[in-house]
Formats: sequence, structure tokens, C-alpha cells
Amino acid sequence: MDTQKPIVMMTKQVVPEGKKSFRISKEGRFIFLCLLPAILFVSVFTYYPLVRGIIMSFQNYTLFDLMNIQFIGLDNFVNVLTSPDFPRVAMNSFYWVFFSLVFQLLFGFMLALLMRKKFRGRGIYQAFVFFPWAMSGFLIGLIWRWMFNAQFGVINDLLLKTGLIDAPISFLADGTWAMAAVIIANIWYGVAFFAIMILAALQSIPEELYEAAAMDGAGRIQQFWRVTLPYIMPTMLVTILLRVIWILNFPDIIYAMTNGAPAGSTHIFATYMIDKVIFGQDYGQASAVGVIIVVILMLFTIFYVKATKVEKGGDF
Amino acid sequence: MGFRSWISVALQLTMATALLVGCSQPAATSDSASPSDANGVTLKMVESITSPQRTALLKEMLAQFEAKNPGIKVDLISPPFEGADQKITQMLMAKEELDVLEVREFNAKQFSMNGFIENLKPYTDKWQNYDQLTDVAKRRATWVDKTPYYIPNGLYQRVLYYRTDWFKEAGVEVPKTWDELLVAAKKLTDPAKNRYGYSFRGGGTGWDYALITMWAYNGTEVDPDSAFFMKDGRTLFSTPQSLQAMQYYKQLYKEASPKDSVSWGFQEMVQGFVAGSTAMLIQDPDVIDGAKEKMQEGTWATAPIPLGPSGVAQQVVGGPGWGMTSYSKHKEEAWKLIEFLSDPEQSTHFAKKTSTIPVVKSAAEDEFYKTGYFQPFIEMSQQPTKFLDVSRPVDYKGWGAWQSTADKDIQSFLLDQLTAEDLLKKWDQYWTKEKAERK
Repeated sequence: MDTQKPIVMMTKQVVPEGKKSFRISKEGRFIFLCLLPAILFVSVFTYYPLVRGIIMSFQNYTLFDLMNIQFIGLDNFVNVLTSPDFPRVAMNSFYWVFFSLVFQLLFGFMLALLMRKKFRGRGIYQAFVFFPWAMSGFLIGLIWRWMFNAQFGVINDLLLKTGLIDAPISFLADGTWAMAAVIIANIWYGVAFFAIMILAALQSIPEELYEAAAMDGAGRIQQFWRVTLPYIMPTMLVTILLRVIWILNFPDIIYAMTNGAPAGSTHIFATYMIDKVIFGQDYGQASAVGVIIVVILMLFTIFYVKATKVEKGGDF
Repeated sequence: MGFRSWISVALQLTMATALLVGCSQPAATSDSASPSDANGVTLKMVESITSPQRTALLKEMLAQFEAKNPGIKVDLISPPFEGADQKITQMLMAKEELDVLEVREFNAKQFSMNGFIENLKPYTDKWQNYDQLTDVAKRRATWVDKTPYYIPNGLYQRVLYYRTDWFKEAGVEVPKTWDELLVAAKKLTDPAKNRYGYSFRGGGTGWDYALITMWAYNGTEVDPDSAFFMKDGRTLFSTPQSLQAMQYYKQLYKEASPKDSVSWGFQEMVQGFVAGSTAMLIQDPDVIDGAKEKMQEGTWATAPIPLGPSGVAQQVVGGPGWGMTSYSKHKEEAWKLIEFLSDPEQSTHFAKKTSTIPVVKSAAEDEFYKTGYFQPFIEMSQQPTKFLDVSRPVDYKGWGAWQSTADKDIQSFLLDQLTAEDLLKKWDQYWTKEKAERK
């Protein structure tokens, strides 16, 4: 704010009397007009729903009675936050993001390192790795739901045939197993994104750096820690930030696989919000859950950006 | 502003308009882009229970209607089934151009209360085929405020599907009551062979199956017009019979159903039956086509749903139908279309092709329904005092919130995280409060 004062004073000095102090140059106008469609688009499709959602979170907006919508203060937030479901939904959301992220990063990194090297059939191999990312999350959920089915699922069949289990496991009938199952499906889906991003970063590392490191006597492990990792770190940090936001906002797989079942043990914030709309028909409470998600992500982003100075990254 | 600037502004506006208009088109298939025609009227119609076959059938019927009514064209919108009702609600809320819509029993009250749909009484009063509707179809049409808000196009009524080969092998009779069903299901269960007696529904809207058990146990004391309550005003969940029903329900799950059926939805329960994992299934008639396709003739059959200890069995017969928007600019033409689709001949044809129970009385004489897999449906319809059609309290404000937690509660109960007593107490308190707060 302090930096604005001198500018205003300077403008006052140079602008002739009788003319407005705020003027836009021809170039400025042209740039503004070029940006106008994007501004309109973002305003209509991003900011309007956001503002509308925030307003609805303070209203008794239920489909049952659209003729009687009123502001009800913080009631929706109180109802959501004091609901007996809330602690479990919050913990599930944490597990969902944490385990998905850690394993997607780990496997994505390993795959990227493998794909960096040239070998026969690398193209086909890459296509297989990237394939899940091209599929719809809901479809992936449906596929994994059948794969985890105790009666007809391929996973139980494989485990039985390899002798690892004696009787089928009812993966989706037990809360802990069901949560593990949806996370496994999500890991499978998200590995490709990390692999793509890390591979792009790895391919941008100049060979000279490795040559120089080798000349200085660095072995392969040291090269990894001293050259590879620092070079790709900015990409990794931005990718992690993006993935945390996306994973928390990604209900598709859980919605298709379990829809929060059994007994609500696989609900995360995003599926809980959908449940409030589809079954509860309560847009007010659903919007309150949406606002809570936005607040959590904003706090996380601010903390993360401050802690990692991630805004300086992004070499991709 | 110079020439270049004007060109630039014009381009920006065109792009922005194109972008906005393009993005606001409904995400659905549409035959015609124009809402009105220079030579007549173009009606906008939206269906809810969409499937490629059903949409193709509707289009055929609409083509016939257009041929008979040269001045009217119909523009059919067919949103994907998942979320179609939300899409229709959004269209109504935004007052999007729409004349005819598919209304379902669970949103009829919501649509009428919000003034979205038209009272069809002035039209049905003059319609000679109205009396051709079966009693159940008439009840579906008029159950909101005793007013016809839509004309049903097919009924979704459940029957018992069973494996005749397994029954024969085990020497088991077809169950007529819930008790017999449990005995048969237990006898047919053999986890070592991956065989279970019953295709249990514990997943989405599984609470409905718990309720049909509770209703059957409570019998004729249940209020058919609002079946979460008894005729004496208490809630359904406050009676000792409901407790017995829930204990029975858990036994059926634990002793005769696959363990993971606690999360089974429609697809899994049908798959369990047709793939040879389960011996019995209670479902709507739309399972018949799939079972015919995947199972050998003679290995399965249908029977009326089991009766409770009370000697009766209740269910909510689903009956979606064609309604009209209250803000339609072409109401006469819209009614003409509804009248055409609801004509006994057209409506029976539609029911046959969509594997639903017809809404007109004359269909009971049709060979297609008198014999074979559909026969038990007709048999049940002809015994209305034994197989009762009841209504859920979807006209209560708390219906939505209850639905949101009911599945979770049932699953908690089946997984021993909640006792039957606590579950019923929770629901009893909820609905007692709802009744007290009702306007």
C-alpha cells in the first residue's frame, strides 16, 4: 500500500489541470480488450459460482422449498461442523490426500527415472504409463469397484489363485479396506501426472552438469542428490501443490467406487458435499462444505508457498 | 476510437458471446436447435430415465406424433441418466424453455410446490382415456395434493426372481413369506461354492429394502398414504414389529447373503443373480431383459414378493410420467403430446419396450403380460388388498436430509456399529419431530 502513495503524487504533478488523472494508453486499451473475453469467461464461470456458492452457504437453500429462501447466518456451517460425520470426513480427507500424494509421487518418480533412459519400446511403455490420466475418474472408479468386488473381482481371484488368501476379502464391505481400496485406485490414476511432470523436468537437465559432477568424483547416488534432485525440485514443489488441490477436490473415484460407503467410512469433503446435494437436496449445507474446502486449501496454499517459496519454481 | 479498435471490440464481443452461448447449451442430445418454427410450434421435451434404447423408442413415437400433428415439432432432450433429475431441476429453476418433462414420484411434490409444473386437471377432465388408467397409475398421477400433475408412462413394481434349477436341486419351494425366504436362502447358501441365497441391497437406497421388510411386518396398520407413519399417528419405527423386521433383515444379510453385499447397488445385486452367485433377487421388471439375455431359459422364474407375518406386503410402486411446465407457452400442444404418449396403445407399446408394467387396464388382457415372467406383476396388481401400494413421505421437508443418512445408518447397523434399537430410536425421533413441525 505504501508504494502507491508516491505514484499518485507523481501523477498529480504531471497531469495537466482539468484532465482526469486516470488515463489508459492505446496499447493499454488494446491489451484490456484482448483480455476482456478471458475476464468475462473467468468471471462468469469461476467467480460468479464462487460468490453464489458463498452466498448460498448462508441461506436455507433446499430444493424442497425454493420459494422460501432466506439468510440463516452461520447455521449451515454450525450444522456441518457439529455433525457426528465431520471428524471422520476430515480424517478421511487427510488420509486420502496424504497417502495418494506420497505414493503417486514415489511411483511417479520411479517411472520417470525409468522412462528417462532410452530402451526398446519406450514409446509403448510411456503410453501405458500415461494411459490412466486420459481416462475419466468416474470410469476408473467403476472399473476398480468391480475389480475389488469379492464375488466377481479380479483382485480376489488373483490373490486366491496365487495362494495369498484362502477366502475372498470383502474389500468394499469393511471401512478400513474400503478406504485403502479407493486410495489404491487414486494412486493408480495419479501416478501418470507425476511421471509426466518429473520426466519433463528430468529431460531438461543439461548433460554437462552430470559430466562436471562425474569429473568432480560424484558417484550415481551423489549425482542424484546433488544434481538431479535440486534441478527438478521447483517442478516437484509446484506439482505437489497442484496435486494436493486436485486430490482434495476429486470426488469421482470415491463417488463411483463406494459413494462414501460402507457406513460413511469413505466420505471425503468432496463426496460429502455431493451427498448433501444429491440425497439431502440441501444446497445450503453443501455450499458450506464447499466453502470449508476452499478455506482449507487457501490456508494450505499460503502455508506451503511461504514454507517452500514455490512461487519461484515452475520450470515447465 | 479508430477503425482497428472498433474491429477489435467487435471481435471480442463476438468471441465472448459465442463462448457464453456455446457453454450454456444443455449437455444433452437435441434434434433441433430452434425453439420455434416459422410454420408452427416446436415443443421442448426432456426425459429423465434415459437409456439409448429408451431414447430411440421415444424418438420413434415422437416422429409418429409429428406425422399426425404437422404443425408441431418436438425437440427431445435426453440428459445422461446419472444426474438427469438434477439437470431437469436446474432447467426448471432457470425457467429454461421447456414444455413437457418427465416427472418422478419423488420430485413431483418439489416441482409442484415450487410452481414448476402445471395442474393437469383441466385437461384430464376432458380426456376420455383418463379412466383407462389403472388404480395404481391414477394414484401415482394424483398423489400430490390429489391433483394430476403428470400421467405415468410405466410402473416399476418389484417381484421375486429366483433360480428354478437351484431350488429344484435343493428341493426348496418358492417362498411366499419373508420367513420362508430366509429358510430357503439359508439352505441355498454355500460360501465354499460361492453361492448365496439372497442378492442383498446394502448400497445406494438400500434403506428401501429395509422398509419393505418393516412394512410387511407391520401390515395394514401402516398408513398407505405416508408409510413412515402408522394409522394411529406413531412413526413406523416405534413399533415392536419394526424391531423384529430389522432383526430379521440383519439375519438375512449375515446368514444368507454375500458379505460385501453391504455395499451392493442395483448393478451388483443383478449381476450376483445373473452371474450365478445368488439364488434370489427382489427387483423391478427392467431386470427381465438382462436376465433373459444372460441366463438360460428354464433356469429362473419370477414370483410375487414375499408377504410379512401380517399377511400383506407393501412397496412403493414407482411411476414416472409426462408432465407439463407451468410456464410453457404452448400448453395446448404440450397436452396434445402427453395425450398421444399416454394413449392406451402407445403407452402399452412403450411399457413393453421399456420392460415396465403398463399403466392402462387393457394391458392386463395382453398375452405379453398374462404369461411368462411378467405374469406375477399382473397377479400382484389384481390383489390390491394383499399387495399394497404405499407412498413415502417425500412431501416432508426432512425427506432429503433423512435420505442422506439412511443408507449410512443401515450399513452401520449391518456392520454391528449400531443396534437395531438405536437405529429405530434415531429414525423415530427424526420423523416424530418432522411430523410435529409440519405446516
